[in-house]
Amino acid sequence: MKILDKIKTDPYYKAWLKDAWPYVTGAILLSVFQIVSLASAGTPWGVSGTLADWGAWLYQLVGGSVDKWYYFASDAAQAKLAAGPLKDPGTFRNLGLIAGALFAALIASGFKFKKIKTWRQVTAAVLGGLLMGYGARIAFGCNIGALFSGIASLSLSGWVYAVFLFLGAIVGSKLLVKYFM
Amino acid sequence: MSKEVELDCLGEACPVPLIKAEKALEGMDVGDVLICQIDHSCAMKNVPEWAREQGHNVEVEEVDDGEWEVIIEKVK
Repeated sequence: MKILDKIKTDPYYKAWLKDAWPYVTGAILLSVFQIVSLASAGTPWGVSGTLADWGAWLYQLVGGSVDKWYYFASDAAQAKLAAGPLKDPGTFRNLGLIAGALFAALIASGFKFKKIKTWRQVTAAVLGGLLMGYGARIAFGCNIGALFSGIASLSLSGWVYAVFLFLGAIVGSKLLVKYFM
Repeated sequence: MSKEVELDCLGEACPVPLIKAEKALEGMDVGDVLICQIDHSCAMKNVPEWAREQGHNVEVEEVDDGEWEVIIEKVK
C-alpha cells in the first residue's frame, strides 16, 4: 500500500482534501453556489422548508392528508406537494448536501460512527432538533432560507433574523454551560 | 513535576469540547499537558485555534479515522 502512504503525505491532498478550508474560502464558495442554485432552481436556497415537505410526503405515504393544514394551504404549496419529491429542486439540494458532506468526510478519512455517551446527549439532541424545526417553520426559514438567502436577496428580514439569532445563541450558550457541562 | 491530564470529549459536539478544554486548562499549572480526545471535526478547528491564540504549545495527532488528540502544553 505504498501509493496510499504517498497520498497521505502529499501536501496537495492535505491542503485540498484533508484539512479544513479557511472560513473565507467557504464563504466565497457558498455565495457562488447559492447564486448557481437560485439561477437554476428559481427559488433561493433553503434547507428546512424541504424537510417539512418531506414530512408531508411521508405522512401522505401512510395515508395521511395535509390538504387542510394551514402551512400547506397555499396553491403553490399544494402544487409542489402534488408534483412529488422527484420534481422538487429542494429535495435534490438536500440530498446533495448529505452526499457531499459524506464524500468530504470519507475522502479526508474522517468518517466515524460515534458512540452515544449519555442519555442527556440524546435528550439534548432530540429537544434541540424539535425546537429548531418548529422555530424554523414558524419563522418561515432557518439560518439558510431566512438568514443567508434573506440577506443575499437584500431583505431586511434577514438582518432582523441575524440580530435575534445572536441573542438566542447567547441564551442558548448560557443554558448549555449550566445544564450540560 | 508536570502532570498530564486526559480530557474525554468523544461524542461531544461544538462548543462543548472547547468549553471543557477552557475549564480544564484553567485549573492546571504552567508546564502541565492537557490531552483533549475529540471526534468532532469543528472542534478540531476551534480548540487548537483557541489554544494557539492563548499562546500555548499545541500539537494535533490523528489517532484514528475521525478521531484526534489535541495536545496542549500550558505555557502561561
